[in-house]
Amino acid sequence: MSRILTTAIIMVLFSFAKITATAQQNTETAKEAPPTPRLADGTVDLGGDGVWRLPWIRYFSKHIVGGQDAEVPFLGWTKAMHEYNASTNVAYDPEGFCLPPGGPRAFGTPYPAEFLQQHDRIIVIFEGGAHVWREIHMDGRSHPERDALNPTYFGHSVGRWEDNTLIIDTIGYNEKTWLDYGGHMHTDQLHTIERITRPDRNTLHYETTIIDPGAYREPWTVAWDIKWSEGQELAEYVCQENNKFLLDLKDDFGKPFFEKTPDAN
Amino acid sequence: MKAKFLVMLAVIGVHSVPVLAHHSFAAEFDADSPIELTGIVTKVEWMNPHTFFYIDVEKENGEYENWALELGSPNGLMRRGWTRNSLRIGNVVSVTGSRARDGSLLKGNARSIVLSNGVRLFNGTNQINPNLAELPQ
Repeated sequence: MSRILTTAIIMVLFSFAKITATAQQNTETAKEAPPTPRLADGTVDLGGDGVWRLPWIRYFSKHIVGGQDAEVPFLGWTKAMHEYNASTNVAYDPEGFCLPPGGPRAFGTPYPAEFLQQHDRIIVIFEGGAHVWREIHMDGRSHPERDALNPTYFGHSVGRWEDNTLIIDTIGYNEKTWLDYGGHMHTDQLHTIERITRPDRNTLHYETTIIDPGAYREPWTVAWDIKWSEGQELAEYVCQENNKFLLDLKDDFGKPFFEKTPDAN
Repeated sequence: MKAKFLVMLAVIGVHSVPVLAHHSFAAEFDADSPIELTGIVTKVEWMNPHTFFYIDVEKENGEYENWALELGSPNGLMRRGWTRNSLRIGNVVSVTGSRARDGSLLKGNARSIVLSNGVRLFNGTNQINPNLAELPQ
């Protein structure tokens, strides 16, 4: 028995040592991370043998650029809706319905993501948010005008490189998403300008300016870092498969959010 | 058995992965209503966005009631060391977690599960951990 226990302890210590080594490696890479990888033409390479481990950014209000005094420049209705959403424990969050997160929130939904860089566009694949992707046109095109712009969850994105920063300009969002888990809302006037840099191999710095005169007094900017996970791969995540949350969801009056049809099982 | 327990603890419990989030934990479960249940697994739904498993729990009067218990998504659980066969029909398990806010439902969110052989499985729960949620993960 003692031999078994000794073996177990050694195995556990080995496991811990392995984990500690990984943690130590992470610490080291934070101090002396490998340099920013680049494509053959010198452009920043946003990919590699791994995935971006997106953090869970629940409240954009905690990530505002501009210091601790910076506040969300609410209009009256967005402030009221934010308070209402908090009062319901954000029960009606569209992501809980397995709907896509929308542009900026996709980078704060805690499942991994991957960039695919092609000569005329960049595709970002998100494992979470219902297994979705974003397409960023890099061929110099403009946004469609008037009715040619069809409002969608991720809008219409055009991108360009300015030195080492990828700048993504997006309009044409629909109104079916929240900006974040905390219930900051927006209108279809939403215009985002995202700035993405990769200061070293292990770090992606994400920043987005939110411009929405229908919802906020003035533009405001949020930012966070995203860590690289070397050697990891995306998995499948089809959120709509078995979303039991909706089956028991009640409205504010205690009634089922969705009525069962008579012939439903 | 002790060895197996310790090794599983090391492999599954300490593996650092994000806490997965699909819907609001607080909207569905009450963190202030802890549950401790022991029963026999009757069904496992290894599905998105949340894995569910069901256990028959014996009541004081000898009758059984069937509880539905929520886990993380399969992709999140696999990154924690689970497989689709970590929980199987017929396993006797002890579960700790939080009960659904709707007390009329036999439903909860499972935080940790101990199998009858001592193996402990930790959930990739969607419960908000304030210490983890806002840190780079």
